[in-house]
Amino acid sequence: MYQTLLTTRYLTSRVIPLIAVAAVALCVALVIVVVSVMSGFLNMVQSSGRTLMGDVIITYGISGIPHYDDLITYFENDPNVHAATPIVDGWGLLRMPYPDSEAKQSETVQVWGIEPTSFAKVTSFDESLQWKTPTDNQRNWLLLDAITSNQENLRENLNDEQWNELDIVVNSASNTMNFESVSLWTDLQELLDESQWKLLLQYDERLHNPNALFQQGLSLSQNGKEGIVSGLHVSEGNERQKDGTYQVIRNDYWWLPRFDGTLTMLPVDAQGGVIEPESIIMPFVNEFQSGVFMIDESRVFVPINVSQRLLHLDTAEIVDVDDPSIIVGIDPARATSILIRGIKGIGADDLQVRIANMYDSFLAGLPNDTLVFPPTRGDPGLTIHTWEEQQRRFTGPVEKERELMRTLFSIVYLVVAALILSIFWSIVFEKTRDIGILRSIGASRGSIVWIFLQYSLVIGIVGSGLGLFIGWFITKNINTIHDAMGNPPLGIAIVAFVLATCIAIYTAIKSRSGQMLPIVLGSLGIITCSGIGALILFIRHIGGLVIWDASVYYFSVIPNQVDWPSSLVTVCGAILFCLLGAVIPAAKAADTDPVKALRHE
Amino acid sequence: MNDTPNNVPILEGRHLKKTYKLGRASVPVLLDASLEIQQGEWMTILGSSGSGKSTVLHLLGGLDRPDEGGGEVLFRGESVWARSNRQINQFRNHEVGFVFQFYHLLPELSVLENTILPAMIGRLGGSTTDSRARGIALLEQFGLGHRLAHRPRELSGGERQRAAIARALINRPSILLADEPTGNLDEETGSGILDVIGQLHKDGLTVVLVTHNMEIASRGECCVHLRHGQIEHPATMA
Repeated sequence: MYQTLLTTRYLTSRVIPLIAVAAVALCVALVIVVVSVMSGFLNMVQSSGRTLMGDVIITYGISGIPHYDDLITYFENDPNVHAATPIVDGWGLLRMPYPDSEAKQSETVQVWGIEPTSFAKVTSFDESLQWKTPTDNQRNWLLLDAITSNQENLRENLNDEQWNELDIVVNSASNTMNFESVSLWTDLQELLDESQWKLLLQYDERLHNPNALFQQGLSLSQNGKEGIVSGLHVSEGNERQKDGTYQVIRNDYWWLPRFDGTLTMLPVDAQGGVIEPESIIMPFVNEFQSGVFMIDESRVFVPINVSQRLLHLDTAEIVDVDDPSIIVGIDPARATSILIRGIKGIGADDLQVRIANMYDSFLAGLPNDTLVFPPTRGDPGLTIHTWEEQQRRFTGPVEKERELMRTLFSIVYLVVAALILSIFWSIVFEKTRDIGILRSIGASRGSIVWIFLQYSLVIGIVGSGLGLFIGWFITKNINTIHDAMGNPPLGIAIVAFVLATCIAIYTAIKSRSGQMLPIVLGSLGIITCSGIGALILFIRHIGGLVIWDASVYYFSVIPNQVDWPSSLVTVCGAILFCLLGAVIPAAKAADTDPVKALRHE
Repeated sequence: MNDTPNNVPILEGRHLKKTYKLGRASVPVLLDASLEIQQGEWMTILGSSGSGKSTVLHLLGGLDRPDEGGGEVLFRGESVWARSNRQINQFRNHEVGFVFQFYHLLPELSVLENTILPAMIGRLGGSTTDSRARGIALLEQFGLGHRLAHRPRELSGGERQRAAIARALINRPSILLADEPTGNLDEETGSGILDVIGQLHKDGLTVVLVTHNMEIASRGECCVHLRHGQIEHPATMA
């Protein structure tokens, strides 16, 4: 009991335990933030991989897998398979609508030809679509586009006065819409009678049915015409805001679903030679955001028949070698990959084995007179991978980095132990006489050890608990903190400089007494505050600081989920190291010769 | 306070030898010191500074161990250093009350907490409430009833020493060992402390006090001189 009394008094009557608690808390918070971000990063890579490509992926390079439709039906008959979808992927050039001049910019894109319905069953394609309904600005742009494209038809339905007024309203709006919101919608609604207004809205389905924007994205088509859904970072017109939302520059002028794009791909023949490039003009029907920057900046989705056509992987006639006029059979359309999602509860590894076996049995079941067979599993070009294996080249290094970080930051535990050791060494040195007194009145060695172990236990528990809270708080708000660091408010700099001035005045007054401590503490305060202020001004001067670069780290946001298992291990580790750091000085204290201790100055 | 059988000293030092190591040098302090303290006696050990008075007191109180083969300390006829560590701790806690020249109160604890600390360590005297009651009673007896919650730094030298005496008595020890208890006090305050010790002795407490002051030594019944590492000329003073 007296040990608890002494421990409490030692803890509450000195500054040094507070320093120890702060040190432990900072070390624990540091480890928690780093490990949580790294684990979150890995989890995001892994989960995004699974979300974007299903559980198992069958791939057969350039020449593709024939009879993929039958194969998918065969897979889907298995009760363990939730859905399967074909992909035809290749690289292409996408001519963008910007800039305003004739010479438009082209982006290199990874084209995924998909069957939208089955693709949405395997992946979260529907959830990833960026634009659900048009915003007011976007609706105004669609309205303006509809008027511009249908001038002649509209003219026939409007009288002269209406037409002139419409011309004025539209011209005025088009001049200002680049910079500020206008009331084009309501202005035109007032100007036109009901039938004219309805006619105008009929020019674009998205005007009279806002949900059409999302539906067109889902179906990759617009008014029966094939369309493109591109990654959100493919277009340079989209800008990420601090709150994580996106804005289209020039007040939605460069909103991609207003425009068409020209997609060009290079088909390759059976011998690997390049055939003439194939191009197609298609409207952008929506954009998607998977959260993986690498994908969002380069991938576009088109209907599978488009990519098959462009890559010459569509259905073709097989002609007689000697007489090309004789058709001997049909070469079926091909898919370069098949994505398969299992039902809930089945692991990717189990599904992979089942799919491999089913693939073999499918091949064995094909009629003997089949002209074109899918590749056998002995073909080195054919792979049947789980999503983890497919992602390995990304997740592998990240896993290694996380373990490396864990190992490196485990050194922080040693820092905690060294810190506690040095603090307790000084405490024991300072308390040598107390130890002598306690021994002289009958305290045992064990009870002396227990006093200092209790002391370190409290520091460990309070420090690591506080560190857990700080780590949780920083991790949860890491994107806000990152944004604030990237563009720190000027107000903070002003407050820092005002504070530095106040401290300088206070220090000047205090320094008249000639005491050194107020001067030292005041100087530190002035340097810290003015340093923070100067740093903020410098960051603002260089145009902000980007620590987490989405183009480097794949994701546009920093993972902000606390890795609780690692955090709890960190907390327990810190407490353990506090005890270890205290046990040597505590044992030294217990072994102190009482007589020598009593004479200690 | 247990009674000791007739003619067996309550505390005895036999042929005590003690050498301190100062770096590589050995400094012999006690060469062959023997003394006997009878139950209820007030013995004063007189000696000049550095003569080894405090060392004798530490050896008698079980705080320090004689050299290997350097004699023994007997409490009620039984060797102190033949006991286990636990028994030696109990000896310090139950049988001996130490009063030091520099008070040696723990600065973080209040006067009352300092006083009852040995009771808390030894878990003697019943519950904590009983210890507190006895501590308060002792402190009131020594005129410190109004200082219970004060920290030692808030007390005068005399008050601190009275608090230290209260702490030494909390477990009702058999012997009070006082090491220059007035050495750090002015004459008047020191005299007051000696009056307190004198009263305790009158009440039956065995006292061993070391000093270099002849006048203080005259307060005891028996005085021994410590010179050249040996006890010389024991003489009855009163």
